[in-house]
Amino acid sequence: MKNNYRHRFALAVTFALLTYTSPIFSQNLPLKTISGTITDADGPLNGVNVLVKNTSRGSVSDLEGRYALLANSSDTLVFTYLGYKTQEVAVGSSRILNVNMQADATALDQVVINAGYYKVSDKERTGSIARMTAKEIENQPVNNPLEALQGRMAGVNIMATSGVPGGGFNVRIRGQNSIMAGNEPLYIIDGIPFDSQSLGSPLSSAGIIPVGAISPLNAINPASIESIEVLKDADATAIYGSRGANGVVLITTKKGKAGKTKFSFSSSTGIAHITQKRELLNTEQYLEMRREAFANDGITEYPEYAYDVNGRWNLNRYTDWQDVLIGHTANIHKVQGSVSGGSEGTRFLLTGMYQNETSVFPGSFNYDRITVNSSLQHKDRQDKFKLDFNAGYTLEDNFLPGSDLSDYAVSLAPNAPALYDTSGNLNWEDGTWNNPLAQFENKYKNKSNTLFTSLSLSYKLVEQLDVKLNSGYGASSLKDHVTAPHTAFNPAWGMTSANSMVTTNEGNKKYWILEPQLNWKQTWENGVLNILLGGTFQKQQFDQYGVYGIGFPTNSFITNLSAATTILVNNEVSTQYNTQSWFTRINYALKNKLFLNITGRRDGSSRFGSGNKYGNFGALGAAYVFSDDLNLDWLNFGKIRGSYGITGNDQIGDYQYLQTYTITGQPYDGNIGLQPARLYNPNFKWEENRKSEIALEMGFLKNKIALSVAYYNNRSSNQLINYSLPTTTGFSSILANLDAEVENKGWEFDLKMTPLQTENFKWTSSINLSLSKNKLLAFPGLETSAYANKYVIGESLYIVKLYKLKGVNPQTGLFEFEDYNNDGQLTGTDDREYVADLTPKYFGGFSNFLSYKNWELDIFFQFVKKKGYNQYRATEPVGTMANQSVSVLDRWQQPGDVANMQRFTTGADPDAYTAYYKFIQSNGIISDASFIRLKSLALAYTLSLGKASNTSCRLLLTGQNLLTITKFEGGDPEQMDGNLPPLTRLTFGFQLNL
Amino acid sequence: MIMKTTLKNWFTHQNKTGVLLILLLSVSFSGCDDFLEVDAPLGQIPHQEVFTDEATATAATTSLYGKLRDLVMVSGSNSGMGVLMGLYADELDFYGMPWDTAQTLYFHNVLATDPAVQSIWDNAYNLIYMCNAVLEGLENADQLPAEFKQHLRGEALFVRGLVHFYLVNLFGDIPYPKTTDYQSNGKIKKIPEAMVYDAILDDLSNAKGLLGDSYITGERTRANSWAVSALIARVYLYLGRWQEAEAESGRIINNASLFTLETELNNVFLKESRSAILQLKPQNPGSNSQEASTYIFDSPPPPFVALSSALVASMQPNDLRKTQWIGEVSDGSQSWYYAYKYKQQFNTGSSMEYSIVLRLAEQYLIRAEARANQNNIAGAQQDINAIRLRAGLDNTQANTPEQLRLAILQERRFELFAEHGHRWFDIRRFGMANEILSPIKTAWKPTDVLLPIPESDLLLNPNLAPQNPGY
Repeated sequence: MKNNYRHRFALAVTFALLTYTSPIFSQNLPLKTISGTITDADGPLNGVNVLVKNTSRGSVSDLEGRYALLANSSDTLVFTYLGYKTQEVAVGSSRILNVNMQADATALDQVVINAGYYKVSDKERTGSIARMTAKEIENQPVNNPLEALQGRMAGVNIMATSGVPGGGFNVRIRGQNSIMAGNEPLYIIDGIPFDSQSLGSPLSSAGIIPVGAISPLNAINPASIESIEVLKDADATAIYGSRGANGVVLITTKKGKAGKTKFSFSSSTGIAHITQKRELLNTEQYLEMRREAFANDGITEYPEYAYDVNGRWNLNRYTDWQDVLIGHTANIHKVQGSVSGGSEGTRFLLTGMYQNETSVFPGSFNYDRITVNSSLQHKDRQDKFKLDFNAGYTLEDNFLPGSDLSDYAVSLAPNAPALYDTSGNLNWEDGTWNNPLAQFENKYKNKSNTLFTSLSLSYKLVEQLDVKLNSGYGASSLKDHVTAPHTAFNPAWGMTSANSMVTTNEGNKKYWILEPQLNWKQTWENGVLNILLGGTFQKQQFDQYGVYGIGFPTNSFITNLSAATTILVNNEVSTQYNTQSWFTRINYALKNKLFLNITGRRDGSSRFGSGNKYGNFGALGAAYVFSDDLNLDWLNFGKIRGSYGITGNDQIGDYQYLQTYTITGQPYDGNIGLQPARLYNPNFKWEENRKSEIALEMGFLKNKIALSVAYYNNRSSNQLINYSLPTTTGFSSILANLDAEVENKGWEFDLKMTPLQTENFKWTSSINLSLSKNKLLAFPGLETSAYANKYVIGESLYIVKLYKLKGVNPQTGLFEFEDYNNDGQLTGTDDREYVADLTPKYFGGFSNFLSYKNWELDIFFQFVKKKGYNQYRATEPVGTMANQSVSVLDRWQQPGDVANMQRFTTGADPDAYTAYYKFIQSNGIISDASFIRLKSLALAYTLSLGKASNTSCRLLLTGQNLLTITKFEGGDPEQMDGNLPPLTRLTFGFQLNL
Repeated sequence: MIMKTTLKNWFTHQNKTGVLLILLLSVSFSGCDDFLEVDAPLGQIPHQEVFTDEATATAATTSLYGKLRDLVMVSGSNSGMGVLMGLYADELDFYGMPWDTAQTLYFHNVLATDPAVQSIWDNAYNLIYMCNAVLEGLENADQLPAEFKQHLRGEALFVRGLVHFYLVNLFGDIPYPKTTDYQSNGKIKKIPEAMVYDAILDDLSNAKGLLGDSYITGERTRANSWAVSALIARVYLYLGRWQEAEAESGRIINNASLFTLETELNNVFLKESRSAILQLKPQNPGSNSQEASTYIFDSPPPPFVALSSALVASMQPNDLRKTQWIGEVSDGSQSWYYAYKYKQQFNTGSSMEYSIVLRLAEQYLIRAEARANQNNIAGAQQDINAIRLRAGLDNTQANTPEQLRLAILQERRFELFAEHGHRWFDIRRFGMANEILSPIKTAWKPTDVLLPIPESDLLLNPNLAPQNPGY
């Protein structure tokens, strides 16, 4: 019954259309009704366009793949569908034409790429856009979509800042453009900018999440993503004007598909632990180091505070603090359900996900997340009015220790006392140590919720003209607190709950955006012209409020601010950020092989003072598909494209141009606390980023091999610099534009191959490789500036200037350094002349996807060639009361020794002490930190259930960061700031599709 | 043409959705010039507005004291001279954790990059900037009454002089910024010690002229001319200008209606103390001095710092300061001592103790030293004895200028311990730092009499060169 109804409905639509357009019928031959069913390998195909060639008569197949239209016997029908080969069938005498469509994975003009304000087929694309789809994302057990991108795209370098749940990522698209202002890309979800600035406050969360940067992108469930496109060059990013300089990341969420209502349920469970431990001294080696240090320093009687060697601590005790403090196994559980379906006119999708994850720290810490995504698409019968609505809502609960113990784990003496005494209380060993678990008395908790919605309405006014209104609203909030009960302090202070403290923070963000647009499309015989005109009006409100509560009747009230004796406001921020812009895109396609794309934007931003509020940005891109003219057998696709343009960067924070006093939480004598907020500069402007790119894209052997090579050169000028000043100015920096110029250039290679494809077996493989170079081209007055000792013209921004280590003097046993100016002294100003470049030399990924019958295997390796800080960075002199890497054992002991490490010292020997501090400012702390990592591995088996072809169960085993090959000795080579390294994850799950 | 007819056609079809969209579009496209105007950020007041209103101008000025109390030089916290230079000298012993930045000062492992030294410097110059911002703000504050402005200007000058006084004694030659202009302050040259002192005295004598003789709020928590005099007396003492030092301290000692020595030692540090010349008021009602929470501990071993046992041992057993100003903690076999001048470690119903920056006993000792150096033996003895008497001790036996000088140094050690690093500054100006510290600090070098100019500042501003010797 239902099917019949649908069939009739489709026919009715078709006839209605035909009737409506009847005046243009001019054929002489009699028209007859042609109908049929369109299928593909899997069955009926809905949404196939059927057109009577050289007319405007057409139809679309319905849910059962049926279509009907009027044609005469001399007509030819053209069947087109995205991702399938176009077929032409002559009508002849038939009245029924059934067509089987062939999937065409190689059809580049059928792969549609999201470019933000417009869509473009891969063939016609003039800009540089990388793409990743659900298939690759779903196979990775990650929390944050950014993690899924690691190593997958040429030119996109992503590094985790911490392995704790909720931690963030450093994302650099084609290198660091700005010396000081933000280098974060612009994130757009379903057409709406998603502000990636954290709602967290360092005051409450910096202890556990680096710089309090709780990544808002954690609110995006990776499984809800259909595709991620990264816009890289000027052609693709200039339409985002002042926010395009650092690249744009477009996230498109999944949509429902017309057809049978589908249910899907999945569940997975797994474990996680740190990727690797560092090799440290054991108790015996440690005590040997300490005793030798005292002997070297001529101290025979161990001082009272040397608890580790003087016998106050057990000399035979050994604890692997890495195991105890960060070596636990975290458990991961995830369940997800979705329902989707709809008709031709209206489609929907609803997805919900719940996740729970414990931590690698001791104690019952955990991260909970619930996400809900919904999507609704509608179009009217005439295909004129379209509506697209998407909404996501995420709740996160994160419960963590008050601080990351990774640093303690590698520096605590291995014979330090037990964490708990016999009665189960924190052991202070008579106040002789800072029990690291006291930090766990400090607890961090956050609750956040994130809502992001988008609604797009469009209407086809006439055939050539569409009007569209994009709108979005989002609201997110984050509440967190960190407690510091008195029990976290050495009892010798004699504290009580009257000294217990809680630090709270509440951040709220709200934004709305309206983007009216007009799209004009005119088609001629030889060309197609697309003109887009639009405007953007966006307001964002950010509020933050944080207090300290001090003194509680008992610690059980510690999160209860009303029970606090004293409440102090520590920050209260309310800022607005408004933008008002106009943008355009003019695109002309000549004979479907020559493409020209012009984009422009005029941006106004409230972040700049009057007179500097507006800026103009734009780009020109072109592409030529030469393979159509060459007609070579082996080359089935060849395109050359290039672009040039200007984008900007406004990531400098709000209100920086104002000279103000800030209210501080430190009142005096009944008056509020007031402090000058900053040194101010009313004149600063946008940073400019000029990007150029040229690329060659080729497909060989029926696209079994596809190669893309791109060369880019980006130059950022008018740099906004937080100009470091001597603190005699009262502050350490001022924000100003400087005529400095930074260049990022490089090569990007993308190779995709299908080495083998048979009926049952398929193997696809891809490699991406980025060679990048970052260079400071100009910096007027560098020599006399704050950056004199940080940057060198002609070198990268990632350099560090260091003393040059000559080695350990075999006679004195001390480190020696190059005295560059031969004045007999080592001074920071003159002798830190060794330049270490920490820019990754190259990086990329190697991916293989194999399927055999119902089995699938996805293996992905990430590789990075770079230098980094090794195990000695920021260490105390070897011999002081801090554990060290085993590499220190290769040390000088007596005259004549040739060793890597200088003689041990407790710090009492000023020469050894000074030499060590020079050492940790020398190239002795730089090592090769290159690595190859088995980033992700997924093995899946799909089980067909029952007769209905769509009912299946998929079993999935996935792993992340499974194996790291590196020579680096300083821990995980990705994360070198002493924070928790990224985690190895292993999960097993199933997905049921009904 | 086609377009026009199509549109017309279209409108006659009365397409509601389309009309709605067009309306929305036209509203949006019209734009508005005000769109980019944003409200002033919450919690921030435009600079010029601060000095149009008495309450905010006062707050900008009292914040100078707030900064002193919490961070700079005379703070009772662990970033004040009391702790840092107490550790540097022979007054305090360090028991904190190895990574505490104060440790390098205790062991004399100070490098040019020392973070503790850097923060002393940074916080000091930030406060000087705040003083200059107040002075400049008042310059153009036409709406404020002249007398009111005069007082605030005097306070800003006093704080600027006070901070520079500590800076010059820590770092030697230093710059003396008198403007908020970052361009000139960024290239500022350091000036010789003598010129720094001239500038300090200049600021202080201006301040003294601007400030009245009474405490403006009734409490002794904001500077008046007496507080300025007390500091001037100390500056003259450090410069060896004995006559002027004697006159200035005498002016205060003779003002018995305002200042008297508290006879009961336990009352000296109470907020009502009549010997207080300038106090810093705690942040909140009910809170007490930072010194108490910094120094006092309950059980052994000490969690951060303890009084040097040599100091405690060298005090006479009957010295009341030993019994009333020093606390003892023992584990049965060993004892540790802490400064117990301030006794209220935690909050009390209303505040009981304020941190004292300047007090009368120091003025007695300043005058004693000034008199001894002018061969006024009897006068000097009389001033020392005033302090000794209160501590339950006999009159001093010293009767030559040289003996008196040493007796005064000793008396200052017992009277002023754990207060703003007096001990360090005393042994330094007496030229005895080498003699006293080289036996007890293994890493001691004679060049340790000056701290290094923070390397980052030297790198940024070559005009601060040369670095102090030894770094």
